[in-house]
Parts: sequence; structure tokens; C-alpha cells
Amino acid sequence: MTEQEIIDKTNKVFEESFEIEKDKLTPGAHIFTDLGLDSLDIVDLVVALQKSFGVKIRNEEKVRNIRTLQDIYDFISAIKNEDAGKSS
Amino acid sequence: MQKYDDIVVGSGISGLTMALILGMNGRKVLLLEKSPRIGGSVSRFYKKGVPFDTGFHFTGGLHKNGLLYDMLSVLGIRDLIQPVFLSEENANSFFFEPEGRLYEIPYGLEKLKKKFKDYFPGEVSALDRYFEKVQQVCANTPSMNLQALTALHSPMNEDFLSLDEVLNGLTGNPVLKALLSGFAMCYGVMPKEISFANHSRMCLGLYESVARVKDGGEAFIKAFEAKFKSSDIEIRCGKYIARLEDVYNKKVGRFILNTGEEVTAENCIFTIHPGEILKVLPEQHLSKAFVDRVTSFESSAGFFTVFAVLDEEYDEPDFNSNILSIFPHTDVNQLLDPANTGASALVIIKSIEEVKGKIYKTINAFEPSFIEHVENWKDSKTGRRSQSYGDYKEERVENITGRIYNAFPRYKDRIKVINSASVLTFRDYLNSPDGSAYGVKQKIGQYNLIGKLPLRNLYAAGQSSLLPGIMGAMMSSFLVGRYILEEEQYNKFLSKSLS
Ligand SMILES: Cc1cc2nc3c(=O)[nH]c(=O)nc-3n(C[C@H](O)[C@H](O)[C@H](O)COP(=O)(O)OP(=O)(O)OC[C@H]3O[C@@H](n4cnc5c(N)ncnc54)[C@H](O)[C@@H]3O)c2cc1C
Repeated sequence: MTEQEIIDKTNKVFEESFEIEKDKLTPGAHIFTDLGLDSLDIVDLVVALQKSFGVKIRNEEKVRNIRTLQDIYDFISAIKNEDAGKSS
Repeated sequence: MQKYDDIVVGSGISGLTMALILGMNGRKVLLLEKSPRIGGSVSRFYKKGVPFDTGFHFTGGLHKNGLLYDMLSVLGIRDLIQPVFLSEENANSFFFEPEGRLYEIPYGLEKLKKKFKDYFPGEVSALDRYFEKVQQVCANTPSMNLQALTALHSPMNEDFLSLDEVLNGLTGNPVLKALLSGFAMCYGVMPKEISFANHSRMCLGLYESVARVKDGGEAFIKAFEAKFKSSDIEIRCGKYIARLEDVYNKKVGRFILNTGEEVTAENCIFTIHPGEILKVLPEQHLSKAFVDRVTSFESSAGFFTVFAVLDEEYDEPDFNSNILSIFPHTDVNQLLDPANTGASALVIIKSIEEVKGKIYKTINAFEPSFIEHVENWKDSKTGRRSQSYGDYKEERVENITGRIYNAFPRYKDRIKVINSASVLTFRDYLNSPDGSAYGVKQKIGQYNLIGKLPLRNLYAAGQSSLLPGIMGAMMSSFLVGRYILEEEQYNKFLSKSLS
């Protein structure tokens, strides 16, 4: 999966599952202060990302440290790489 | 407008527990129950004078310092609940039809391990590893420890491995695998879908001890009712929340009941099925992500149930309350698959009940069943269903009684079937969307609804929040109770009865 694909898919989750306008979705956007999510939305976000990317995300430290969209792109790409490593 | 500290929605064992925890801590509580009476799955019903339990037959955790024992102590109702321990030697038996072999499973971890090793001498190391893993998972689970309760613990590896995966890694013996996963009947999820961790959390209590309770679920209801009297807890049956109003800053200001009456409260805790919670929440305040998450929960297994009694004249001196599970084969995944069209598992639970000095020997029999089995009559209501539904029930009852006679030939013509229930019966009686026995299916990697909901003074607890069964349901209320009372108050509350 390319970085652009990860970005597009992640942004789509924000647009469709949280109804956030497209032009707000910049890599530096802070998910709480800029996009208006709050800490309790995180579980829903994780579930939506799991479904969209077909991965299992464990509720670990890393999830709790997510602040910006870029953090999510990096996080997903790390999981995807790990999965790819396992299956090859 | 009436003002409360907390509203508790649903009066099953989790709602009763929730209300009492809050009430005992000086809060003014309103307990709402949609049905005409309280108790939900733990309520009893009497037919022809014979007592039957809706959804509580046996439990682990009632031995001294067991988890349930401790919860009852904290709630101050332990004296009112009299455990009736099943025979230590063979509380649970499993009969495999193709082999024609009966396996008697005792309780008490050491006894249990030894018995398994006697049955499977070639699997000693697999068994050691299995039980070690089960104990390890439970020891590391904070939600199984009243003092350390939290849902937000870091999950362990076993939370992401299925029961099947772990068992397949330990043994190739299909009978052993089926025996170890046979307890899935107590949580209603296929071994390939439940995590090893949740399987362990459900089973450990039953490995340690198995007990019924004198007077069944009614004992719990009476105990709670008695204890409610010394707290400020108001029960209202036939009432539910129709609408939520005055939502500011993601907090609900007014709760409108089905009667039109309006009340206010600081918090409202839903102990009902997540699908039913969703119906009450105002859509405009929910993200699609939240709605998708809740609607994607699946149903755990339910049961087609036959309630029967042995003829009064029939005297069986060694009639006991043991549990017999009859499996037509060793594929437990198939037995809990809604699409299974082959033979079902059958769990037979016998019990001696006394009402006003009269003794009844009851036999309850359960076959896993799903809403899919009654799809044709799904839109009908109790008491107004078609002839074809009647025929469906009759056929299943006949088949089940035939299987009871096979297992106990001596009961032939000595059993009276008093009642039967399909998953539709359970659905309508318990106001749940699917008639499942254990709420939503606990699948690997699933994020349950527990604690705060998207509107911040609303909470979720109940059997779908943590784990099913009366223990899991009660634990969820302790967990949410701790959150609402805050740690210091909660710890003080615990320390009054636990040292
Ligand atoms: C056939 C069967 C056998 C079982 N056997 C056992 C067993 O042997 N041991 C064991 O530990 N567990 C057993 N269970 C499971 C156990 O009964 C449940 O896990 C537990 O009792 C669930 O408690 P609860 O409070 O979460 O839910 P429930 O008992 O379902 O209570 C929910 C309550 O909420 C009410 N309600 C629903 N919607 C609303 C609304 N909108 N407003 C107000 N009220 C509402 C319902 O009427 C109900 O009273 C069995 C279940 C079944 C069905």
C-alpha cells in the first residue's frame, strides 16, 4: 500500500465516519483541536480504521499518543509494513 | 420535575447491581424497567406452580473469596444468597454421541486437571500449558479484580488469539479440544471467534466451583429488593426513556419517559443491549463511526428451551443437579454456528426446587438457537404468532424430549413438559433485539460499549459491556460504578466489606 493510498483511505474515514470537511484534512491537522474529535471518539476511530484497512489495531500506548493526521498515517503504515513483513 | 443523581436503565442483574452500588453510596437513584417486573434474565416464572428460571442456572465464583462471593459481600447481600454447590466430582458432564462416551468433569483446579490427565494421558503437557495459560490470563486481567478494576488495561497477546488457535497449538486431539471449548455454551461464541483471553476469563470461575442458588434468580431479586429499602432507590416498572432533551456540551439535560413525564439526572447508565441503547440516543449527536461500531456487533447464541418436571410419584433417590451436555460431534464451531443445519448440542440441567414445602424435580433443556432460526416469524409478537410457528416449536420440543429420554431412559413417560421458549420468546420477554442469551457476541479484537457514551453523562454497562453471565454483568456495573463514584469513594466502599 502506497503512502498516498494510506492518506486517502484515512481521510475518507474522517470524511465519511466523522463528517469532517475535506479541506480541513491536512497532515498537520490536530484531531482534537482542529477536527473536533474528543478522547472518547478514539475507540470509534480505531474501529473504523480497522475496518477500512482490514488490520487489527491494539489499544496500546501508540494509539493514545496520536495527535495529528500525520501521526495516523505513520501509525497505519507501520502496521501495514509489519503485516507485509509477516506474510512474506 | 423530579431530580435524581442517577438513572439506571434496565433491571437485570447488572442494573440491580448498578442501582445498589450508587444507592449505597448515598446517591438518589431512579431504576427504570420496561417490563412489568424487575429482574430481566434472572427472573423466575411459575407455571402450574412449578418454578423455572429464565436465564440463570449455575455460576462459578460463589466459593469463599470467589469473585461473585466478594461482589455479594460488598453489596451486603451475601447472607441472602445461598449457594447449592453441585457435586465436586462431576458437576459438568459431556456426552459425545458418536463415541458413546461420557466425560465427567469435576471442579477445583487440581481435581479438574487430574481428571483431564486421567482421560488424556498422552496430553499431560498440553493440559499443563492450557491451565497455566488460563490462570495467567486471569491473574493479569484487572477487570477480574474488584480492587484494581479498569477496562482500560493494555490488552495481552491472548486477547488477539482465538481459542481455536491456542488449542490447535497445544493438541491435535479433537475430543480434548471439544471438551475444553465445550464451555463455550456458557458464553455463546464459536471457538474460532472468541479470544483465548475471554474464554479463560469466563471459564476459570467454573473450573474453581459450580453452584446453583437456592430459589434461583429470584433469590437475587429478593435480596436486592430488601437491600434497596435502606437506600434512596426508586423502582419504576413499565417505564423507559422515550427521548433525551436539552443536550448542551454533549450532556443530556432532560430525560423524557414513555409516560411523558420528565426527569433530570446527573448521569444515566444503560444496562441494556447496545442495539437498544442506540435507539434512545439522538442521532444528530452521534458520529457515523459510533453508529457503525454499535450496529456491527453480532448476536451471541440463544437457546431453544424446554422446561419440564418429573412426575411427582416418580422417586429417584439420587436425583442430582448436575449439568449434562450432549454433543453430536466434536466440532464446537459448527454447534454454535447460526447456519448449522445438522444436529445440535443439548444441555440438560436438572434441579430440585422447593415451593411452600412442596418438592419439584425440574429438567431444563437447551439447544443453541439463533434469530435466523425463527426468521419467518420475526415480526410477530408473543401470543399472536401463526400456526406454523406453533408447529416449529412443537417439533423442536418433541425432538428435545426424545433426546432427554435417550440420555435418561428411566424418565420415559415420566416427564411433563410445562413450557418451551424460542429465541423470539426470550427476545420479547427480555426486550432485547435478538433473543440471544449473552448479549452481543464477544469477538476477538472487538471494542465493546462500556463506560462513557458519546453524550458524556450517559454510560453503558451490562452483559454486552465486559463479559456475559451474571458475574460478567455484575462486574461491568462495578467497573462503571467505580468510574461514577470516583476512585477514592469506591475504594472506601469496598474496604467496608473487603479487607
Ligand atoms: C437461557 C439462558 C440461560 C442462561 N444461563 C445462565 C447461567 O446458568 N449462568 C449465568 O451466569 N448466566 C446465564 N445466562 C446469561 C445471564 O442470564 C446474563 O448474562 C445476565 O443475566 C444478563 O444481565 P443483564 O442485566 O446484563 O441483562 P438482562 O438480564 O437482559 O436485563 C436487561 C433488562 O433491561 C430491560 N430493558 C431492555 N430495554 C429497556 C429499555 N429501553 N428501558 C428499560 N428497560 C429495558 C429488560 O426488560 C431487562 O429486564 C443465561 C441466559 C439465558 C437467556
